[in-house]
Amino acid sequence: MRAEQSILDLPHDADPDPDELVRAAMRWHFSPDTGSPFWLARAASLDFDPLSDVKTYDDLTLFPNVAAELRDVPAADLVPRGYGDRPDIVGVFESGGTTGAPKRVVCPSDWLAKLVDWSNRNLDVHGFPRGADWLGITPSGPHLVGEIFRRSALTHGRYGFQVDLDPRWVKRLIKDGKGTQADAYAEHVIDQAAHILRTQPIGVLTVTPPLLARIAQREELVELVNEKVRAIRWGGTQMDTDTAELYRTEIFPDATLYGHYGSTMILGIAGQRHGTQPGEPCVFDTFSPYITFQVVDPVSGGPVAYGERGQVVMHHVSKALLLPNNLERDTAVRVPAPEGRIGDSAADIAPVERFEDEAVIEGVY
Amino acid sequence: MEPTAQSPGLPLIDALGPSGPYRTHRRQTIPGVTGAPVAELSLAPELYVNRTMKALREAAPPPAEERSAMLARAAGLFGSAVLGGMTLQEYESAVTRVSGVPLTAVRTATRVLSERVGQAWSSAHQARPRGAVADRHDPLVRSGQAVWARRGQVLAVHVPGNYPGTHGYWPEALALGYRAAVRPSRREPFTAQRLVLALHEAGFDGDQVALLPCGHEAADVLVRGADLAYGGDEIIRRYADDPGVLSLRPGRSKILLTADTDWREHLDMVVDSVGRNGGTGCVNTTAVLVEGDPAPVAAAIAERLAARPSLPPDDPKACLPVQQTDAARTLERHVLERARGTRAWLGGTGFVDELGDGSAVLRPTVHQVESPDAPQVGAEFPFPCVWVAPWSRTDHGVAPLRDTLVLTAVTQDEALIDALADEPTISNLYIGDTATHWHRPGLPHDGYLGEFLMRTATMVRL
Repeated sequence: MRAEQSILDLPHDADPDPDELVRAAMRWHFSPDTGSPFWLARAASLDFDPLSDVKTYDDLTLFPNVAAELRDVPAADLVPRGYGDRPDIVGVFESGGTTGAPKRVVCPSDWLAKLVDWSNRNLDVHGFPRGADWLGITPSGPHLVGEIFRRSALTHGRYGFQVDLDPRWVKRLIKDGKGTQADAYAEHVIDQAAHILRTQPIGVLTVTPPLLARIAQREELVELVNEKVRAIRWGGTQMDTDTAELYRTEIFPDATLYGHYGSTMILGIAGQRHGTQPGEPCVFDTFSPYITFQVVDPVSGGPVAYGERGQVVMHHVSKALLLPNNLERDTAVRVPAPEGRIGDSAADIAPVERFEDEAVIEGVY
Repeated sequence: MEPTAQSPGLPLIDALGPSGPYRTHRRQTIPGVTGAPVAELSLAPELYVNRTMKALREAAPPPAEERSAMLARAAGLFGSAVLGGMTLQEYESAVTRVSGVPLTAVRTATRVLSERVGQAWSSAHQARPRGAVADRHDPLVRSGQAVWARRGQVLAVHVPGNYPGTHGYWPEALALGYRAAVRPSRREPFTAQRLVLALHEAGFDGDQVALLPCGHEAADVLVRGADLAYGGDEIIRRYADDPGVLSLRPGRSKILLTADTDWREHLDMVVDSVGRNGGTGCVNTTAVLVEGDPAPVAAAIAERLAARPSLPPDDPKACLPVQQTDAARTLERHVLERARGTRAWLGGTGFVDELGDGSAVLRPTVHQVESPDAPQVGAEFPFPCVWVAPWSRTDHGVAPLRDTLVLTAVTQDEALIDALADEPTISNLYIGDTATHWHRPGLPHDGYLGEFLMRTATMVRL
């Protein structure tokens, strides 16, 4: 038991063997002493034995995608018993609810510390200044991204200033055809950020692409960002290559632009690869072997060729959570993971394609 | 709509903004009617469109007399210069290859377009109320005067790619001091590109007129970022109820032949109205209403149109439009469905004639319907497709002639002519032997564009 725990407890830069990690995780999540009530109960309905049949990382594909069940499971049932009677939990976090009711996960503090350590090292590689004050214009509330912002600001930076953002309300307004109200809400959010930018020495900005576009629409804010902000971390929705290039070359030429691609369902984020050539789509590398992606053909489920677009499947395997084979809504271009990492890296993230119908429109215009 | 990888060798159409040409990584391939790619179009992201709209709004228009001279210069350049690496002939050939409009019709359209741009200043001012002066510096303002003033500063232009001539009108907005953001059609982007290049070459800067090829989301930004919008594509249709949006309406142009005339004398005009320029325009006749028996008229039109040859659009003798075979077949299914219950004189079992290279000719169709109230009378398609209906002064009157862009009425009945002239939903009325596609610069098309762009205001400066 001690040896198993030790591989699950390694620091962020320890580089454990992925297959060993998977075996240790199976013992942790499927032993009555340490597993979560959810997985211990769910094991009975699996047509394989996780303890004897899941030996390698590739065997994770035996698991069904249980993400949908996270809409209804009592959160407490998701906490591995191995964390003890009074587990050190950061919070219960929810997905954005884009595709139905939100899904829920529980985040223990040891995992979040490991993730933020890994993320902070990425920020160093991309040249984020240490000790700066951060401004976060991101969802907070039940979403993990808000917590990651606070931890990053406190550990990599100095103070974290936050503006609240409720993405579900925006989605609801847009869905109900109340586009002007959604606009007004977004401008309200930017107004609050503007006040912080004017009065505080903000060195790092964390923001979503649509809100960054609104900042770019206000001359005063463009000047403030160029004067103060050294690095911009974006995430939440995709940013296309042309837009990123406009920011880098014309609008915020002196700031570092760095993207995140995350999901509450992986309890974390993937970070933009450093050193991609200008004009190339940004590539997201995962926190392997704990968080891994596969880019697959949505019909066959098999991997697409490198350089081809497919749908993103996410896996999370750690002491905190086991959630393999979660098929995400997004598509991405499959890119080889960095040397020594497993799974795929993902480039040029885009929502699942919409199809245009081919109805004939009468009239010649 | 997927972005495509760069294909070497294809001409690339850049956005043209305030700081010059802008080339994107996200592109769209523009296929010809055979399906083979003809060009690649840069698709500008929303952020670029937004910034360009802002620059257009902040720019001051050149003085009025310069605008007039620059438009005249642009007209000459459009009609003769090498622009975007293309001669006029190369440009016309590219338009034919992607739109399938016969080359001869494209040549006519580009000549007319050039003429219209050259006269944009005077055409625009035809719309000015006679009580209003053009400029607040006019001395008449000293004693109190109506002044013709802009309703806004920036016009979004979304004209479709069915026929290059549709670009002939919006340069009037430049004459009136508007800045224009033009989204080229993704079916035929060459005309918009050539026109904007000519305007730039003639002295309009990138913050006066911009070319903004883009996807749907950015196209919305383009409309929302402008004061007024004009056009007829799918984006404009979504905003059609907005008073700041002028939507090009389907033409539903018609010909009325009353019993006091001999229709045989006007057959040339009728056939020409249906089929000129490939029958792709809103001013091509959609329906012919006949007082008396429509059958002989339908038969005669069908006989004439049936003789038109099926040729590739770049053949000098081509006179019928061509489309990719799949699109042509989709259209054919739709039209056949629409024609159910009518009497077919031509094209009753289909009208698609495949050329064997992936493209197909849309051959003419002639259908006789039972009544001028038949729903088919309003069904307009981008090829020579005409519905022939019986009409009676007493049974039907003006009602079936409503909602018409151009009505040619061949009649001696002055009371009827009065009634037609008084009908507000008939945009243009031609009496006698004039084809529905007849037009001259300076005359309104669907009203003057100036009626939409301008307002009058009282001004006094004592």
